[in-house]
Parts: sequence; structure tokens; C-alpha cells
Amino acid sequence: MAMKLNDIPIQKKLMRVILLTSGAVLLLTCASFFVYESITYRESTRSQLSTIGKIIATNSSAALAFDDAREGNEILHALLAEEHIVAAALYDVQGNLFSKYPDTLSAQEFPPAPGTDGYSFTATHLEGFQPVVQGGRRLGTLFIRQDMFAMYQRFQLYGLIALGVIAVSFLLAYFLSQELQKEISGPILSLAQTAGKVSQNFDYSVRATKVGNDEIGNLTDAFNNMLRQIEEQNRQITSFNARLEQKVRERTLELEVANQELLKKNDFVETILESSVHVIAVMDTQMRYTIVNKSFEQIYKIDRSEIVGRKYTEVFPQTVGSNIHQDIQKALQGTYVHNPNTRSAIIPGYFESHFVPLKEAGKVYSVLFILHDISNIMEANEKLKVANEELVKSNIELEQFAYVASHDLQEPLRKIQIFTDLVKSRRHEGEEASKYLEKIHASAERMTLLIRDLLSYSRLSRIEEGFVETDLNETMELVKSDFEMLIQQKGATIICPALPVVKGIPHQLGQLFANLISNALKFCQESPIIRITVEELSDSSRKLFPNLPGEEKYWVIKVADNGIGFEAQYSQKIFTIFQRLNDQKKYAGTGIGLAICRKIAENHKGTITASSIPGQGATFTIVLPVYSEVAIPKAAL
Amino acid sequence: MGVVWYALLFFSTIFSLRAQPEPTLEYKVKAVFLFNFTQFISWPESAFTNVDSPLVIGVLGENPFGTYLRETVAGEKIGSHPIVVEQYPELKDIKPCHILFIDPDFNHSLKEVPILTPNRGVLTVSDSPNFIKQGGMIRFYTVNSKIRLVINPEPARRAGLTISSKLLRLADIHVQ
Repeated sequence: MAMKLNDIPIQKKLMRVILLTSGAVLLLTCASFFVYESITYRESTRSQLSTIGKIIATNSSAALAFDDAREGNEILHALLAEEHIVAAALYDVQGNLFSKYPDTLSAQEFPPAPGTDGYSFTATHLEGFQPVVQGGRRLGTLFIRQDMFAMYQRFQLYGLIALGVIAVSFLLAYFLSQELQKEISGPILSLAQTAGKVSQNFDYSVRATKVGNDEIGNLTDAFNNMLRQIEEQNRQITSFNARLEQKVRERTLELEVANQELLKKNDFVETILESSVHVIAVMDTQMRYTIVNKSFEQIYKIDRSEIVGRKYTEVFPQTVGSNIHQDIQKALQGTYVHNPNTRSAIIPGYFESHFVPLKEAGKVYSVLFILHDISNIMEANEKLKVANEELVKSNIELEQFAYVASHDLQEPLRKIQIFTDLVKSRRHEGEEASKYLEKIHASAERMTLLIRDLLSYSRLSRIEEGFVETDLNETMELVKSDFEMLIQQKGATIICPALPVVKGIPHQLGQLFANLISNALKFCQESPIIRITVEELSDSSRKLFPNLPGEEKYWVIKVADNGIGFEAQYSQKIFTIFQRLNDQKKYAGTGIGLAICRKIAENHKGTITASSIPGQGATFTIVLPVYSEVAIPKAAL
Repeated sequence: MGVVWYALLFFSTIFSLRAQPEPTLEYKVKAVFLFNFTQFISWPESAFTNVDSPLVIGVLGENPFGTYLRETVAGEKIGSHPIVVEQYPELKDIKPCHILFIDPDFNHSLKEVPILTPNRGVLTVSDSPNFIKQGGMIRFYTVNSKIRLVINPEPARRAGLTISSKLLRLADIHVQ
């Protein structure tokens, strides 16, 4: 029942308002009437008592004047007619009690002496003192006391009347308001009912009934108007919805078709991506792989599940700072980068690379990069280059050879011509002629030697025999046995440590050492000492041989003699074909030997150098690759 | 009612400071009563020569009040008329007055009193027992040591006096 005033029905609210208002008015009216009446009544009671007092006082003047208490009593006794006067007394001019009424009341019940003239209300009574005066002379005082019973009776009556009036008025107000409030609440309730129906059934076709042209009437009109508008809008919304649905259906169909095409296209693109021989990948702005194709997986030997979503530099930390890394960064700035030839930092090989920034609204969101593996082409190129270099070299050599050959080979031919001319002219007889013939013979022999050496040199160039393991110790033994006679004749000493096993062509290596030993023996006047040493090429001495490729290990084998030596400026020249530093008559030779040595060293991916101080011997240094499959002999270390 | 007596005694002593022969208590009360009659009895205007001529209380014969009566009325007025006391030892001394107290020992008939003609407005008062029979108006008598009055209204009416009903209520009325 603890309903808030706002929540109670309007009917009750109206009733309450009316009843409260009328109740308040009635109460106020009755209260003021009551107050007015009580004040008036008190005043009238007082004045009544005062009148009675005056009458009694006037009447009792003679009694007082002539000291007749009996008469006084009699006069007071007249008050018996006034039932509410409960006590009265006369005091003489000295203030002594003279007469009292009623007789039964003891003197103590009265004031011991007269008080001030006038009437006043006490708690229970109205009482007063009235002067008794005759002819302007005061003869005494009358005391008179009235109970309030009459007044209370009167008040009670007033109260009862007021209650009755209030009750009747209230009832009347109740019934009247019950009827009258319908005038106001009826239309509101009917409007509320209609509104309820509308909101419950969503039926916007119903209309509220209008009762009058007051505010509720206006409200009803506005409500009906609103309903009409809602109905109209509903109709519009429904038709709009239908159109929208139709449009959505059409659009969905279009989208489906487009989607299908897109899927097809996507499939197509994916197929191209996957079947492409090029490495194709896409990275986002954080350099994370988003797409990689099959070629990518194959070339880098990595599964796409391991890299998609990860950072480029995280997957391949070795690429940080590489060319490709920089190119990707450039592409991320929005520049298309094409690099025709980049060495891969990840795998051995070369790529032609394209870095295409993918933009959306002018902003790079990804980089597409396409790598074309050109390692094979590069390799072929490299081979071609090497072949070309070799061709150029052999061409130069050939030119040189042609030049030198024409010169050196012509020389014995010219001698043969001269001496055959001399013999033909027959101007020389006998001894002399045979001397010429001998010379012709010697020239022919020399020619044969030249041609044999040339053949052997030219054959070196073309040799493509398979390399085999060759123990240089064995090779050295064969060379020593070949030169056994000469060594004995010259009284030479060969100091040779244990030599390594290398991969090579045994007879070429034999020829290399044979030529060097032969040279050392040749350019030594007496008791030659040939000292052979072997060591591994140290990092510090590697720079002395700039032509040696890469990181391979090499043996350094030195063959030193104590012969005539040569000027340092000829240390390169002596390896050129047909190059002789000394007189042919003193030191026989074709000038091909050292050229052959160089050729053999180069054939074995090594090199040969020479150093010397004239008169103090020469040292030839052969550098050959270490054959790693064979243990290095302990002696060599 | 001894209290009243004492009160009256006290009252009378105030007014008889100069009294030579002290009157009895009875006469002191009677003196006051005489004065009080002026309050309850009204005289015709013809009884006064003019508006401020005095109301005269005359005592015929021996004066039993001494100076007490004079003292009682001293300074009192009835309307605009001051009250004075006069003494008439003999009949010949009588002058026009308004209240005439006749000493009981005075041995003359009332008929001999010259001023007691109708409409002269003279109130006659006495103690003598035959006073009313002789045609007197008010007589004092004593019951239970209290002074009571007998009033004969007829001669008073004839004299032109009006006696207040309040006074009449107190008194015994003599009916002729």
C-alpha cells in the first residue's frame, strides 16, 4: 500500500485532491467559527455575569447600608435562578464577609477579602468582584463565581455541530467529486486505455474518442494525429523495407557473382604465384612475411608455416644490413627497386630482384618482392669468363710463341741454309766441307730439340688427364735416378726432406721437378748443392701470391741452389717461353723449361715464383694445394 | 453581628474626634442610618430653594448624637446639595429642614410641629414607640441588639418623598 502519490491512479488522485481541499476548507472554517464563537461566548458570558453582578450589587446596597445581613442573604439567594452561579458573597466596606451564597458553603471557600473590581476567567470558573455603590458611595463589594459548565456545554455543542457539518460536507464532497471527477478522469482513462491497446497490440488503426474541446480533447486530437502519422510512417517504412530487401537481394546476388569471379581470380593469382619459378614474397611494413610461394620454400628450404607472420630479419638474421635488406627498406619508403644482380646473403647464389611497394591510398602497406634465381646464369658467365681469360692468355702465348718460334726456329734454319749454300758452292773441299756438314747437322739437331720441347709445352696446355694421388717422394726418387749420371759428374748434393702427397698428374709433376733439378745442375759450375724444403703456406706469406684463390691450404716447396743466380728484375721473365738470360753457347737450353714449369704449376692450381741474387744461387718456390684427404706426413710439419 | 458594631464604633471614633459628650454606640449607628437615608430617599426639587442649597438634617429636642452626626455628614453631598446638621432644642427653633429627628423625650405631638405640612418634603424619624401612630414616617427599634426600621409610607408619600424600594424591603411597613 506504500504507493507513491505519483503512482496512484488519476481517479484517486483527483478524489484525494478534492476531498483534501474541501476538508481543509471545512476544517479551517469550522475552526475559525469555533474560535470566534468561543471568544464571543466568553465575552458574552462575562458581560452577562457582570450584568447579574451589577443588579445584585445595586439591590444589596441597602442591605449593606443598613447592616442587614439577612436581607443580604436573601438578595443573594435570588441567584438560585442562575444555576451556573455557584457562589456569591457580599463584603462590607471594610472588606469583611457580610453575606454568602449558598449558605451551605463554608467561609473558607470564598476569597478572604475582596480583590480588584472586574471579572476574569480562572482555570475552572469565571469570577469577579463588583463594587456595591449607592449614590456615589461605595458600600461594599459583591463577589460572584460562575462555573464554566455552560461554556463547555456550549463548546461541546459547537464541536458536535462542526463535526456533523464536516462529516456531512465530506460525504457530500465525496459523492459530488466522485461524479464530477469522472468529467476529468473519464476522458483521460479512455485515452490511456486506447494508448494501452495501441502499445499492446501494435494496432495503430484505433482512434481515441473525443469527449469535449478542453485540453483533454486537444490531447485526444493530438494523440489521434500522432497515431495517424505513425500509421502513415509505418506504411512507408514497410514499403521502404520491402524495397530495401529487394535491393539487398540484388546486391547480394551481384556480390556473389563478383565474389565468385574474385575467387577465380584469386585462384588464378595463387596458381601463378605457386607455379612461378621466381621467388615471390610479400612483407608488411614491419617486414613480416605475409605471403611466400612454393619457389621460396624450395630455394630457401624452409616451410612457409615457419616464416609467415615472422620478421625477415628474425627468420634470416644474417641478412641484417645486406643489400636486399636495404632494398626492402627503400621499397617500404615507396620506391620501386630493381636490382639486376644481387648476391644472396642466405644461400650461395645470385638473384635478380624486384621490390615493388604495394600502396593503398598513397601509403605503402606491403612490399612485394620477386627474386629471379640467376645463379646458373652467373655460374655459366663465370665459366665463360674463365674460359675467355684462358683464351686470351693462350692467345697472347700463341702470339708470343709465334713470334719467338719464328725467331728461334729461323736461326738454325738460317745456319743450315748458309752452310748448305757453302757446301753447294764447292769452294770448300774435304775437311772444311765436312765441318760445314757437321754444323748443318748440329743445327738440325737443335731444331729437333726445339720442336720436341715445343710439342711437349703445347701438349701441356691441352692436357686434361684425371688427377691422381701422387707421392712427391716417389716423384723425386724417379727424377734423381734420371739425373744420376749428371749428379755424379757434377758431384752435386741434393738435400731433400719428406715430401707430401698431392693430387696431380704424376708425369707432369715429375717433369716440373726434373726441369728445376736440371736447371740447378746446369747453372752450377762445380759441386752444386740443391736444397729442397717444404712447409705449409702461412697466412702472413699468402699475400706474396696474389693469384691464389680463396681459403685453400697450400704447400710451399722450395728448391734452392748455389748456382750463378740472376738479376732480381728477371724473376718473372724467366718463366716466359724461349726466354734465356744466358748465352746459349755457355748454357745449353731451349728456353722452354721454366715456361713448362709454370704451366704445370698452374695446371695444378698452384703457382711458381723465383728469387735470386746474382752469384749466390736461385730459389724456386712451388706452391701446390694441400690434398686434404691424405694425412700430412709428420716430417712435413 | 458584633463585627459590624465594632466596625461602626471604629467608624464613629474617626468622626467624633472632637466630640465632647461621647454618644452611645446605638446612636452612633442611628447617626449613620440618618445619613444613609439620604441615599435611599429622594426629595422633591421644591424642597430645595436652589441647586446648591443644603440638605438639612435637623435634631429636635435633646441631641443624642453629640457631635457624631455632624462629623458623619461632614463633607458629604447629595447631588449638588451639601448635608448640614442643625439642632432645634424647642419647637420654635424649628427651621425648614429635610430630615427631622425627634428626640424620644420630646413631649410634643407631631401635629404641633409646624413644618410638617404636605409637600414640604420633611422626613420624620424617631425612636419613640408611638411615633408611627402619631403619623411619623420612620421609627428605629432594636431587635437582638440590632437596629431595625419601621416605615410608614403614607405620610412620606404625602410629604412628597420617594422611598427606595430597597429601603422599604429592609423595613417593617406600617399599613394604616
